[in-house]
Amino acid sequence: MSANKVNRREFMKIVGLSGAGAALAGCDMPTTVTLEEGKERVVSYLVPEEYVIPGIGVWFASTCQACPAGCGFHGRVREGRVLKLEGNPDSPINYSKLCQMGQASLQTHYNPDRLTQPLLRQNGELSPVSWDEAFKLLEKKIGAGSGVSGDKFAWVTGTVSGHQAVLIKAHLEALNSGNHFVHEVINTAVGQAVSRDMLGDARPRYRLDRAQAVLSFGADFLGTWNSPVHFATQYAKFRAAPRGVLIQAEPAMSLTGANADLWLPVRPGTEGVLALGIANSLIFKHHVDASHLPLTVRNLIANYPFIEVAKVTGVSGDLIERAAAMLKKHSPSLVISGPSAEGHVHGYESATAVMLLNILLGNVGQTIEPGHSFPLPQLAAREGNTADLLSFAEGLKNKRFDTVFFYGTNPVYTAPASLSLEEHLAKVPFKVAFSMFRDETTALADLVLPIRSALEDWGTHAAGYQPGEPVLGFQQPLMEPLYQTTRGMGDLLLALLTMQRASDYAPFADYYAYLNNFAAGLPAGVRHGAANDKEFWQATLQTGLIKLVGEARTLSVSASTADLPAYKVDSEYQYHLVPAARLGMWDGRHANIPWLQEAPDQITKTVWDSWVEMHPATAAKFDVKVGDYVRVSSAQGSIEAQAFIYKGIQKDAIAVPMGRGHTEYGRYNVDPTGKPRGVNPLKILSPVTDSKTGELALFATRVRIEKTGRTHELVKMGSNDTQLGRKLAATITSDQFNRTEGGKTDVA
Amino acid sequence: MSVNHQCSYDSGRRGNARRGLGSLGIVLGVTAFAALLLSFTVVAEVPGAIPPQGAHDGKDVAQPIEFPHNIHADVNKINCMYCHTYARRSKVAGIPPTSKCMGCHSVIATDKPRIKKLTEYWENREPPPWNKVHDVPDYVHFTHEKHLKRFVFDNDALPTENVSEVCAFCHGEVKTMTVAHKTKPLNMGFCKRCHEANHGPFDCWQCHK
Repeated sequence: MSANKVNRREFMKIVGLSGAGAALAGCDMPTTVTLEEGKERVVSYLVPEEYVIPGIGVWFASTCQACPAGCGFHGRVREGRVLKLEGNPDSPINYSKLCQMGQASLQTHYNPDRLTQPLLRQNGELSPVSWDEAFKLLEKKIGAGSGVSGDKFAWVTGTVSGHQAVLIKAHLEALNSGNHFVHEVINTAVGQAVSRDMLGDARPRYRLDRAQAVLSFGADFLGTWNSPVHFATQYAKFRAAPRGVLIQAEPAMSLTGANADLWLPVRPGTEGVLALGIANSLIFKHHVDASHLPLTVRNLIANYPFIEVAKVTGVSGDLIERAAAMLKKHSPSLVISGPSAEGHVHGYESATAVMLLNILLGNVGQTIEPGHSFPLPQLAAREGNTADLLSFAEGLKNKRFDTVFFYGTNPVYTAPASLSLEEHLAKVPFKVAFSMFRDETTALADLVLPIRSALEDWGTHAAGYQPGEPVLGFQQPLMEPLYQTTRGMGDLLLALLTMQRASDYAPFADYYAYLNNFAAGLPAGVRHGAANDKEFWQATLQTGLIKLVGEARTLSVSASTADLPAYKVDSEYQYHLVPAARLGMWDGRHANIPWLQEAPDQITKTVWDSWVEMHPATAAKFDVKVGDYVRVSSAQGSIEAQAFIYKGIQKDAIAVPMGRGHTEYGRYNVDPTGKPRGVNPLKILSPVTDSKTGELALFATRVRIEKTGRTHELVKMGSNDTQLGRKLAATITSDQFNRTEGGKTDVA
Repeated sequence: MSVNHQCSYDSGRRGNARRGLGSLGIVLGVTAFAALLLSFTVVAEVPGAIPPQGAHDGKDVAQPIEFPHNIHADVNKINCMYCHTYARRSKVAGIPPTSKCMGCHSVIATDKPRIKKLTEYWENREPPPWNKVHDVPDYVHFTHEKHLKRFVFDNDALPTENVSEVCAFCHGEVKTMTVAHKTKPLNMGFCKRCHEANHGPFDCWQCHK
């Protein structure tokens, strides 16, 4: 064929030479060269389903598992293949919207790196075995006759809910063990503790749609906080006329920060100080009534005059004033805290100071509502955190476990290197991973059981953050399993339980029968008029969820706050490391989805690689240019990535996104030279915890920067931040705006 | 645990999807060939339609069973849409489900070797793995439904019984064949000339969407 190749230029010549006739002839060419008869198969149905017409899609409802938010989706199925996912209009969580992670979860399902058969470690290597052999081994190791019992056994999972949570709990009870470690890097554990202590409800509802102003301390509610798709919908209402004002205070710009009217670059760890400074300004300058606050709290706030606060936080007094003025003017407001404010030794206290602003401004009851109780508590989400990771690591260190089961989490990747998880895990005699992929944790397991994808399996899921009346999301298979040799997680859990409690669990033929039995046992109150069990089951599968009836809890406010520690400068490690979370890679679980790898980062527009965000002033200090490789070192280790220089970061902070730098996660995490794609900032985190909740202080690591001397073009969409004088969008300076447009300091 | 769907249209590897364009000689040769084709007409007349022009000498495609289109469509006068039942409702015409074949052949001609082979597939619960004869590239959106609507159902002059004459526009005289054999080029020039003659939509995105 190579002799016949015509490149583009030659082709244009040919067209030019022979004119329109040749161009038309081009239309007559392709079939003779591109399609050959008999090359493809076309296989008919054996017996067609009544509703199936080849070429026409059928939509099925199910529940998304790309993150713990629990959105409902509809999946389009054509010729037995699921092709497209969209939001479920019936879901009170996401209405009819679905984020890029949900949309891209098709590529989790169709991923070429899926595990297709059980693997057993033999002579140090994982090699394929049959399911029979795998079950025989499980029976021997943890079956009724194995003698395994008590705290020597542990489950380590990501956030689980619904019947998976029920069955895992039952399995632990059967083995007489209390070790269920639930691990999520991106969580709201500290914020929940603060809400519980100050409002009497760990899970209140936030109503952005009712707020006139929102002040967020690092809560990226459009990207990674609680239930991003739900908040994006609320955000649209919040921004509709009269347009609400958004102020974001964070060390490195998030997607929410990029949408803010006022962005406050706050020195990491001083968010609480900033909150108290704003409270001070509200009370003493703007005369907001604080008589409902206890005297001790008022006295404490008085200790945070904005001049002092400006010095500590790096946010100018003018900006603090402006933020306070906006909050005073636009009422009701909503003040929320997120991971960058909470991920410090005094993270709890900082979040307390943030919540105090809500109490001061009278937002509780207005934009913060009590949540509803989940009427089926055994199905409620068992939400993940990092404190569980730390206690699991501690247990490993003390050789407490003989047998560990992993599901839905990859702690070997997410744990900081200082926990030495890999080393300690090697000493655990029997580790089982239930996984779709070979990842860092799976690679260390002794037995790997390949599970079905979320689009091939049954299940029930309850979101931790329930924005409306509580719902139980239903998951159903959208297509036949791609690999018949994989098994559903629910089926496997039932099989494990049958080993222990045959009389209780053997009656269920499979997980489908188990869920069917559950639905049949639900009271009439949640059946919404279904005449019988069958009708209810069908209605449930059609809507993809069961609307439950919960009871509204009550909020009881107790305003308290504690003094915040003085800011300390570290002379050796001068910079703060911000491990930035993004709606995309998330905590690293989506790094094997090429659609998400190639989707430009929302802020930096970078693709397929990690980067180091630096302020121009910091970059100038080290003579670093965009694209230069920079070494970021903490006391725990170092990582190298290319510099991205811009003003969307606080001067003392360095941000590296989470999610890349996998050593094991399939082909999309290996760059063309065979090295891991990008770096993992979680590895170099300091082993510091929030003193109150025991959560890993993700944002408390200090680092130093060095130039490596290597440089390469940074691969990103849009190479230029200016318009190069082309006036694509009209701009004026703020001075000119203030002069000619009547701009005032409180203009958003 | 079961899902109530089965898979159809299990396409294999998309072989030969992209190759370079031909040389100058081929381009000019095809131009001349196309001009030649334009000069004569072979298809039977269909009222209210001008048939597309063009011919293609397709290769014989072996099938798991040598299905006799001639016995079904010509001798027994079975309407094409009786078996290719999705054509009027969907973009694809559809290969009939094996259950449809067995609807007749559990009683008709059960002693013939081809029917015995079919029965074997049916008893093994496997549809025969047919090889695709007519296809257009993935970047072409072609729908049977719209073409049947235009030339058959919206065409009062053509009785529905004669649908095979319209099918023959693109599939050739299938009723004279056993297994299908590609006799029309099904390339863009072929489509364009017919769209032009019959005032079909002429925007790029109608087909390339």
